[in-house]
Amino acid sequence: MRDTSLIAAISAVIFSFVTSAPAGAEAATAPTAVHFDAGIISGLGARNIGSARMSGRIAAVAAATVDGKTLVYAGAASGGVWKSNDGGTTFKPVFDKNPVQTIGAIAIDPSNPKVVWVGTGECWTRNSVSVGDGIYKSADGGETWSHMGLDASERISEIVINPKNSDVVYACVPGKLWSDSADRGLYKTVDGGKTWSLILKGKNLSTGCSAITMDPQSPDLLYACLWDFRRKGWTYRSGGEGPQDESGSGLYRSEDGGKSWIEVDAGKNGLPPKPYGRIEIKFAPSNNKIVYAFIEGTDSALYRSDDGGKTWEQRDKSQGMVWRAFYFARLIIDPTNPDRIYKPDFDLIVSEDGGKSFSSSGGGAHGDWHDLWINPQNPKHVIGGDDGGLWISYDGGSRWWQAMNLPISQFYHVSIDDRDPYQVYGGLQDNSTWIGDSEYPGGITNSRWENILGGDGFWAFTDPADPDYAYAEFQGGSISRCNRKTHDARDIQPRAGYNEKLRFNWNTPIHMSPNEKGTIYIGAQFLFRSRDHGQSWERISPDLTTNDPEKQKQEQSGGITVDNSSAETHTTIYSISESPKDGQVIWVGTDDGNVQVTRDGGTTWTNVVGNIKGLPKSSWVSWVEASRFDVATAYAAFDRHTFGDMAPYVYKTADGGKTWSRIAGPDQGLRGYAHVIKEDTIKPDLLFVGTEYGLWVSIDGGRQWAEFTGGNFPKVAVRDIVIQPRDNDLVLATHGRGIWIIDDITPLRTMTDDLLRKDAAFLDSRPITQRILGSGGWAEGDATFYGENPPSGAVITYYQRTRHLFGPIKIEILGPDGKLVDTIPASKRRGINRVSWSMRVAPPLVPNAAQIAFSSSQGPRVISGIYTARLTKGKEVFETKLNIGLDRRATYNLDDRKAQFDAAMRVHDMFGAMSSLVDKIIGSRMMADQSAANLPEKDTLRKDLEGFSSRIEVIRKKIVATKEGGAITGEERLREHLDQLYGAIMSYEGRPAQYQMKSIDALQHELDDVNKEFSALTAKTLPAINEGLKAKGLPPIAPPPEMPHMQASSSLSSADINAAFSAFLGRFYQRSLNVMEKD
Amino acid sequence: MLIRRGLLAALLLFVAAHARAFTVDELIAKNIEAKGGLDKIRAIRTLRTSGQMRVGGGGFSLDLAYTMMAQRPAMIRTEASIQGLTAVTAYDGSIGWQLQPFQGRRDPDKMSADDMKGLKLSADMEGPLVDYKAKGHKIDYLGTEDVDGTAAHKLKISLKEGDIRYVYLDPDYFLEIRIVDQIKIRGVEIEQETDLGDYEQVNGVYLPFSIESGPKGGPKGQKITIVKAEANVDLNDALFHFPAAPAAVSK
Repeated sequence: MRDTSLIAAISAVIFSFVTSAPAGAEAATAPTAVHFDAGIISGLGARNIGSARMSGRIAAVAAATVDGKTLVYAGAASGGVWKSNDGGTTFKPVFDKNPVQTIGAIAIDPSNPKVVWVGTGECWTRNSVSVGDGIYKSADGGETWSHMGLDASERISEIVINPKNSDVVYACVPGKLWSDSADRGLYKTVDGGKTWSLILKGKNLSTGCSAITMDPQSPDLLYACLWDFRRKGWTYRSGGEGPQDESGSGLYRSEDGGKSWIEVDAGKNGLPPKPYGRIEIKFAPSNNKIVYAFIEGTDSALYRSDDGGKTWEQRDKSQGMVWRAFYFARLIIDPTNPDRIYKPDFDLIVSEDGGKSFSSSGGGAHGDWHDLWINPQNPKHVIGGDDGGLWISYDGGSRWWQAMNLPISQFYHVSIDDRDPYQVYGGLQDNSTWIGDSEYPGGITNSRWENILGGDGFWAFTDPADPDYAYAEFQGGSISRCNRKTHDARDIQPRAGYNEKLRFNWNTPIHMSPNEKGTIYIGAQFLFRSRDHGQSWERISPDLTTNDPEKQKQEQSGGITVDNSSAETHTTIYSISESPKDGQVIWVGTDDGNVQVTRDGGTTWTNVVGNIKGLPKSSWVSWVEASRFDVATAYAAFDRHTFGDMAPYVYKTADGGKTWSRIAGPDQGLRGYAHVIKEDTIKPDLLFVGTEYGLWVSIDGGRQWAEFTGGNFPKVAVRDIVIQPRDNDLVLATHGRGIWIIDDITPLRTMTDDLLRKDAAFLDSRPITQRILGSGGWAEGDATFYGENPPSGAVITYYQRTRHLFGPIKIEILGPDGKLVDTIPASKRRGINRVSWSMRVAPPLVPNAAQIAFSSSQGPRVISGIYTARLTKGKEVFETKLNIGLDRRATYNLDDRKAQFDAAMRVHDMFGAMSSLVDKIIGSRMMADQSAANLPEKDTLRKDLEGFSSRIEVIRKKIVATKEGGAITGEERLREHLDQLYGAIMSYEGRPAQYQMKSIDALQHELDDVNKEFSALTAKTLPAINEGLKAKGLPPIAPPPEMPHMQASSSLSSADINAAFSAFLGRFYQRSLNVMEKD
Repeated sequence: MLIRRGLLAALLLFVAAHARAFTVDELIAKNIEAKGGLDKIRAIRTLRTSGQMRVGGGGFSLDLAYTMMAQRPAMIRTEASIQGLTAVTAYDGSIGWQLQPFQGRRDPDKMSADDMKGLKLSADMEGPLVDYKAKGHKIDYLGTEDVDGTAAHKLKISLKEGDIRYVYLDPDYFLEIRIVDQIKIRGVEIEQETDLGDYEQVNGVYLPFSIESGPKGGPKGQKITIVKAEANVDLNDALFHFPAAPAAVSK
């Protein structure tokens, strides 16, 4: 029994190979199950539309001069590592294949710039930071990476490499932000990262390492800073619980490479007394006696030591120095000048006097700085990172170039409108709200994005009642209705009543009713609804949160330094979803763990979270989603990372919230806390989940999930998902890599287990339209980003169970009459494949000439109709229909399109006739020249032959330009005029202009003239010549016969075209020879 | 034979869910065996392939007739024709040259040492994996990496002249399915990605009949489909040498 099943199983696997093997192998029974995985769905592809205009937070910068150029690594807070070999002109992402994209520290080995270390997990611990997974090393300049441990570090603030021994590396690990952990402190490796020792740790489980500095002369002399910190969903502390409370933070010194440490006495030798919060310390690279320390304490300030750290003196304590220490705590000392210090802060501040005074460096950068690199060869050349991206200065920070090539934008949400092409709307962390194009001729450049409102952006929507307006907000529910023409923004945030405080989340939910155009919701602790664009708000709920007063003490949040920016505002509504099936049913999720539902438009509410078995209490409801298909069905996603639990929790109810089942979690292969669950607009079982580490897709209601990695989509946080219902595009808001679009998800709707078991099959697509081919795009240099457009051809989608490796695979396009129109190379990958067909007939056969005729290198696009795509894969043949229609935006109708096609094909035919004529001339000349060459020089027949040859060459020179050499000759003959006319007709797919039609007639006339001239000449001259040749026993000169006018491989005859039109129109259609005559 | 190899691969997969780690030399041996064996590879002295090259994508594309001729030890010539005009790139073992006729020029131009790097690499008919040590290349095995849903074996070839080529081998048949070249042109690294497929036997050696290239990670803007391949045809050396007079176009 065991043997039989083994043989059967092996046979199944073998046969799966045989089907793709050559040499007559037959298709065989497919295996019973196909694992639904990333390889199956990722062939859908995805495109990043940016933008890099606003970019996103840079947490770490490392650079070096290599081969005279500046090598830069930019570490994004949540968008990976970007490498530039040219000082920032171009960047490429080099960390995308790793499981996390949040970067805390980057270090280039001073002994070998090919070696680079990356510590994951940002150390600027704001509310929205991501979560890292350890330390990585690349020995080949970022091409390949090895995970080198510190798995549980969560975040790493600095990496220091011993300049005299590359195997000795220190990693400063603040550690987990949301929970206790022993895996924090200062780590050291002496074997290049194979093993690590924790050489300095805090006295409690919330104290890690915030900074380290190494004596530039003596690598064993180190200072390290320990930092006690903790964030919860509703509060934060840097240092102890309050300004005077005990804290684990402290400053430590080692003289033996970290074997032993001595705490530097607080309150002595010029240092302030404890408690401390976040501390930073750095040696001056050019003078190891000078050390600077920034200490967050009850009297936060910069301190300087001129004796290597024995004694200290307080220096600057301006607001720029002490502002938000958890977010700004890095000192960068000019490597050539120990008295010049930069501190990234709200502004990048700089001191030229050893820290006695600081001023803003100036310039037009975004602000909220985090890191800076100073070029040791030219200290005026600095590269810095802030909340708005990467900035380059050549005058020490007074003026800045923005790196407009880093699409690391951190969207919170995205929505779409119904324009064509549609626009996307979304708000970003510290980067306002933007509206961008989903498609634009030449690419979606940074300039195709429009900024509205300001602040930190979150939800944003077009006003469905008036597309001149958009709703947008900044932090804490500050919603405005923005006029996109006048750019005024009317504040419409609901206000508190008497003796009342409204609690709006940092990321306050705004929701548009799917049932009532223009009805809008916003949530504080109460749910508000407006039906008049915010002119008035109805309060349609009681407090839907737990209203726990312990979670409402934000005025005391911050630890040593109070920091109450609304980022910690808690016990708020966080997600809202009105049922598309019934506007009276509204679901609400709160950040403190309530799932509330009303079935009477808000009169009564029920908290159903208690019905979710296995869900820990107080879990942050990151998403509620009412089903489009069933009023009793809803989905909810919970995010518990604020409790240190990084697992996704996604549930579904089919009975209005009475019972729930978990449909997505670690058991199904999902990674990272869940931000969003989205149901497809067509197929109820097609679900999408966005987590902190990517996008997952299920085609069977959550039974199986596959990660989406198509189009090089990185493992970045997916915080919102929306489906454009007309185009069936899936639009993703990533928090770190901008907006991505998966064009046309229709194929996913047709995927089933049965289909996955097939060797190959076509998948449905959205209706194909012949998008108007706009022209656009202009050189912007290389230091810029532009987003990809959707394919402009007809996208054909199919599935293959295995990669096609042996023998031909091709796709043929057949016209409505079944005749071949084109053959296109097929894609070969496993899973979903996509190819794009230009929808063009073959180009005309153009006579040879001095230069290429560019317009006539293309055939016109086929006319609308039902075409067939035929996939041939080995011996197997698959077919599907392609229903091709006009662009929705076209201002011409099908008759106009036919007129254009007919006109283009008439010129197409003329090119063919012209080619035949030129072939005849060339053929006749060759024969005449050859015969002449065989005759004595003074033979009269030879002269006749030469004369004939040169006279017909004169005719050829009337037809085609013949001047060679590559200059701009400006030589235009009949062929070139016809090419220009053809280009003009092809430039617009509506009815050609009258003068264009007349031009066809004129050029036809000219072609007839030369044809007649050739015929007359041959009729007159050849009989006598051929008689002479015959007398000498030589073969006669016979012009080559008429050739077919179009390339045989993929031509459409007039009958083909007539049949296509007839099929499309459902009636007989006969293309007239003169297209100006109506049929 | 292939079916037998398929059986072996299938058994391996069946017994152990994860492929065992290979050495560089094991993978190269499997690749050579999969192609048909070293003897058969070496028996091919010249090669002429022809077919179609489609350039562009989406709404516009150009179809050109394509021919490639190669001859040992290191000669190559490619031709792409449209409207009776033929562009040529060629390398004869020392000189690389090209002819770009589309704007009326018929004179060949010599290529710089950097510009001919790719051509020179292609002129190694058997590819850099065969006899890589003798050729002065260094190869590292970097484990498996996803190539469009296939966990392919990744080899890094540090070429003798300093550039890098990554080769991805199909995990079941060990044939190349992707090549990524990192070539420095005037000090700037250019990355080119080429997908290979539609393998067919020519004189007992499996050759890719589908060659699709583009910038790394981007759309493959150049797709070559081979229709005919002939081994050991007589090729005139003059085809590869820089022409004294304007180049003659081959049939």
